[in-house]
Amino acid sequence: MTAIDLDGVTKRYGDVLALNDLDLMIDEGEIFGFLGPNGAGKSTTINILLDFVRPTAGSVEVLGMEARTHSKEIRARTGVLPEGFEVYERLTGRQHVQFAIESKGVSQDPDALLQRVDLLDAADRKAGGYSKGMQQRLTMAMALVGDPELLILDEPTTGLDPRGAREVRDIVRQERDRGATVFFSSHILGQVQAVCDRVGILREGELVAVDTIEGLRDAAGDGSKLTVSVDVATDEAVEAVRNVDGVQEVTVRDSTLSVACEEGAKTRVISTIEDVGVTVEDFSTEETSLEDLFMAYTGEEGR
Amino acid sequence: MSWVAVAKKDFQDAVRSKALWGVSAIFLLFALGTTYAYVQFPDVLAGGEGSGLGLALYLSSVAGLFVSLTAILVAYKSLAGERESGSIKLLLGLPHTRTDVVLGKVIGRSGVLTVPVLVAFLLAGVYAATSLDPFGVADYLIFVLMTLVLVVAYVCVVVGISATTGSTSRASALAIGFFLLFELIWSAVTFGIAYVANGFALPTTTPDWMFVVNQIPPSSAYGTSLFAVIPDAMETGNAAFSQFDAFYATPWFGVVVLAFWIVVPLALGVQRFKHADL
Repeated sequence: MTAIDLDGVTKRYGDVLALNDLDLMIDEGEIFGFLGPNGAGKSTTINILLDFVRPTAGSVEVLGMEARTHSKEIRARTGVLPEGFEVYERLTGRQHVQFAIESKGVSQDPDALLQRVDLLDAADRKAGGYSKGMQQRLTMAMALVGDPELLILDEPTTGLDPRGAREVRDIVRQERDRGATVFFSSHILGQVQAVCDRVGILREGELVAVDTIEGLRDAAGDGSKLTVSVDVATDEAVEAVRNVDGVQEVTVRDSTLSVACEEGAKTRVISTIEDVGVTVEDFSTEETSLEDLFMAYTGEEGR
Repeated sequence: MSWVAVAKKDFQDAVRSKALWGVSAIFLLFALGTTYAYVQFPDVLAGGEGSGLGLALYLSSVAGLFVSLTAILVAYKSLAGERESGSIKLLLGLPHTRTDVVLGKVIGRSGVLTVPVLVAFLLAGVYAATSLDPFGVADYLIFVLMTLVLVVAYVCVVVGISATTGSTSRASALAIGFFLLFELIWSAVTFGIAYVANGFALPTTTPDWMFVVNQIPPSSAYGTSLFAVIPDAMETGNAAFSQFDAFYATPWFGVVVLAFWIVVPLALGVQRFKHADL
């Protein structure tokens, strides 16, 4: 079954095109990482799933129901950690979770949920005095109320230290193992690559890639960079390297050649340079990482 | 029925507002001071013997001012503030419809405002009942209940205003504008309307329909409605409000106007809120 089905979704705010003809299907039971730099349209997508904003065009189904007409039923079966939220300053942590429990009409122990996000010690304090990370944990506890079929987590690791971020990933895995679908957005690749079954990369309102982490890694692994220091970078040598099978690009700076090529072409490049009588003084090689791919897709630092 | 959860959360949240308790303390002192004066100087303030009814009518003007001001204080941010801070996403991430949220806000904030009104008027009533004989408990209690209707009406107006916008500064401007227009300068407005309707000349007699215009402010409608619902005030009320022959020439018109303020601004606010991008 399909947990989320976006078909041709476009959202305009006046002149600004926030989402452009987005198609995306997420299966039940998978952890889907929704990646992209800030402002790419991730939150707009999530806001549309939850009927916080309405699409200009396109159809949206969540848990098999139309997102707008069945929004309340969808949200009854979904746990939400929204982005850019603020907690109720004057209510305690426990009152927040209790409110979520009463809103969902379930009977659960708020303390057990607070324990799960490691916030039980602060349960009786007003949430206005919580740190950003604690507020994030509190919202996570609210999202887990009622064992939802779908978890929509918008930047759930914002404001958390590495340990907190790892705990979030642990919870995400536990929820998936329970049978939930998890839709997890982040602008940081490292936060999702360890936990997601598939990722989608959003850039300027368009989905530029959807694949498994392995699939993306394979695509990334195809390219390598070879840096060769030579005694004299002759035109002849550069020309010869350009003609080597599997070489995509050669750039020269002083006596250094930077060669973008397939993994298997590296040794041929070195031998070709030596064949034309140029001495190779040193060389180094580097894999194109998932980070580079993410950067290439989004034009932004991944970490 | 999910507005119950919203109302409870909202009450817990808003009841902790320090500004509310500051204003409520002043109101309590004022209500008790007024009652003390009424009981001690009946010749001056009651024109003879004091009674529960007399005290009620005397307190109703204090109530109108307090309720209108605190309703603004307590409710102007109710929806605009949650949208501005983003906590609305926490609220609507849970399974509530937007209508549930608005209703929950009205109930929660009305509840918050009910607390100081009940405390002040019940304390004042107990004090007056021990000093005045006969007091007329029923008259006084109906007055307190009617004041709670005014609380609901004003909260509905302000929550309705708050539902139309995602900006608290805009919400406060609209709410204060409402207060200025209907509670402070309305008599000037009605005068202006009468002047214009009379062909830009001062009317020599007050036209009958001016009665309707005068009842438009919620607190005026509340004051008039007291004469419709308090048994011992009905005779006076019918004499005062039925001086001419028209279907609206009755103190019950005040109740109708309060019903209007409960329903219409809220309905408009809900419509705007339902169609808004958050």
